[in-house]
Amino acid sequence: MKGWWWKLLSVVLLLYVVIVGLGTPLGPALVHVSIDRIAPGPVSLEATGYNTHFAENTPDVWLENDGQRLCATEVKALSDVQLSATFIVPEGFRTNLTSLWAWDPQDGTIVLREAFFTEGLGTGIAEDSCLISDAPRAGFSFPNRSILNETIRNLFFHVPMWFTMMVLMTIAFWQSLVVLRTGDLAADSKALSAVDVSLLFAALGLITGSFWARATWGDWWTTDPKLNGAAVTVLIYAAYLILRGSVPDPHKRARLAAIYNIFAYVLMMVFIMVLPRLTDSLHPGSGGNPAFNQYDLDSSLRAVFYPAVSGWILLGVWAYTLHQRTARLRSIYDEANDR
Amino acid sequence: MRTAEIAHLLKLEWQLDRRQKHAWGSMALYVVSTIYVCYQGVRHLFDIPTWNALFWIILLFAAFNALGRSFQRENTGRQLYLYTLASPRSVVLARTIYNGVTMGVLSLLSLGAYALFIGSSPMNDARLDIFLLVVVVGGIGFALVLTLISALAARAGNGVGLMAILGFPIVLPMLLSVMKASKLALDGLGWDVTGKYVLWLILIDLITVVLAWLLFPYLWRD
Amino acid sequence: MKLTIVKPLTIVMALLALPMSTFAASSAPSWLQETMFASGKINTVVMVVSVVLIGIAIWMFALDRRLGKLERRAKDQRHTGQD
Repeated sequence: MKGWWWKLLSVVLLLYVVIVGLGTPLGPALVHVSIDRIAPGPVSLEATGYNTHFAENTPDVWLENDGQRLCATEVKALSDVQLSATFIVPEGFRTNLTSLWAWDPQDGTIVLREAFFTEGLGTGIAEDSCLISDAPRAGFSFPNRSILNETIRNLFFHVPMWFTMMVLMTIAFWQSLVVLRTGDLAADSKALSAVDVSLLFAALGLITGSFWARATWGDWWTTDPKLNGAAVTVLIYAAYLILRGSVPDPHKRARLAAIYNIFAYVLMMVFIMVLPRLTDSLHPGSGGNPAFNQYDLDSSLRAVFYPAVSGWILLGVWAYTLHQRTARLRSIYDEANDR
Repeated sequence: MRTAEIAHLLKLEWQLDRRQKHAWGSMALYVVSTIYVCYQGVRHLFDIPTWNALFWIILLFAAFNALGRSFQRENTGRQLYLYTLASPRSVVLARTIYNGVTMGVLSLLSLGAYALFIGSSPMNDARLDIFLLVVVVGGIGFALVLTLISALAARAGNGVGLMAILGFPIVLPMLLSVMKASKLALDGLGWDVTGKYVLWLILIDLITVVLAWLLFPYLWRD
Repeated sequence: MKLTIVKPLTIVMALLALPMSTFAASSAPSWLQETMFASGKINTVVMVVSVVLIGIAIWMFALDRRLGKLERRAKDQRHTGQD
């Protein structure tokens, strides 16, 4: 079999993605604190961590409000993921949102932002002189973002579905151009194969996105421009299949389908590229969303994300060639039957 | 593609439509009766988003109805005649321009009828200049997109039903942005906010015309 | 031939339907809190990966069936051709 190497490559890449993408631990984080408001006076609280190592080295714990720090007077590790801390809160924090910070040599600096509503505001507190280390931790892990948590791994199984879909649709677009230029029925069959397989990846993208949205945004479907784009895309290619179904003559069918495909593809690309930039989106790249930003995909995520995208695209192209070979076989038999 | 040829074809369209006046009448009747049915259902609307959404949905269906005819009435004889006389690109440009103007006028008429029946209070605080521009640009946009789709559906030999299936997903992005832009204009926001939407709509319109111009020759020849 | 295809397909469909039905049944958020949201929401990742695998499996079965049909036609054609 000629040209088998890229199929092997896709398997190797996806194997790497599954092993590293699911096996890499999430970085440590603070996920919960027992109280949600603090007032001047002694305050004691219990904080819960995730993937933390409090028991081995009791962490430093401090509060931060508008850049001003207040260290805990007493910290006790109850377990690896549970600690209790006591503060003597003075009057005079400048803003009403205070965050909780902790540092230990194994976990580095971790924070629960806007953890407390703060009472007794003023013009600032007397700065503490407690020593705080912020030496970073070593080791490979994925960032632990609030709300996303472990679902950050879906980045390797949801987003590449759309990349693959776009690549397959681009193949279909290209083949449609060939159909118009040469009237070649083989190119028409290729375009159909590419659309068929791209719809599989669109369906996977929609379903996986639905699960992810439920876990992070709290709803199975939202009116997000990206979701609208996905819905439009699926509708367009469903319409493409219906158009094909309603024209019996193969040459005419090839030409009409190619015209519709080119028209729809260009408008869809323009829509997908431009509209998310015009309106707010929950998806990365727009303000005020709980997901991550395109630009802070950190190096650990990138080390898996790029192989994931290339692996899934190669797998998609592989599926397309299989589909195409089956279709070609069928047309050969059809011709033999006609004779 | 020559301007003289296009002008000639435009004149031909106009004369044909004047000869069969019921084409214009049926378009207007369709819009008015749709609005009247909505009026029976909702009486007056005071809520801006609902008023806005209903208006655009009515206009969308009016566009489907008006444009559905665009290539349907072509019987083979006349098409063959045009085919021998004019270049396909002139035909599609003339038809697109004609449909665009028709829909631009129709959308303003619809707005009038709509304001009369469903109420005009949502327009009280609107930036009327921007709103009217969005209505016209949106209506023209529907016409431009649906012209090629209409030709495609007619060629597939499967009338208005197929046109709705093919046209809806392509019009949907335009519908979403036009609704958004007109809502912003109704809220009384100025060019700094709505400008980019209007530009974007004009951009889609241009891209659509270019695509129709490029693709139509392949559709036209048989 | 037909059975060998239909059987795994129904099993896959059942597997797909199983989590779906549990989702449908559990309108109470407590269930979601316990499964999808528990331990850093790792179960959401499990669901997403399973959906992808099941989807690809269904596609493979569809392709399998298409090829099976072709094989049968090839066999028929050979028989009729030689006679």
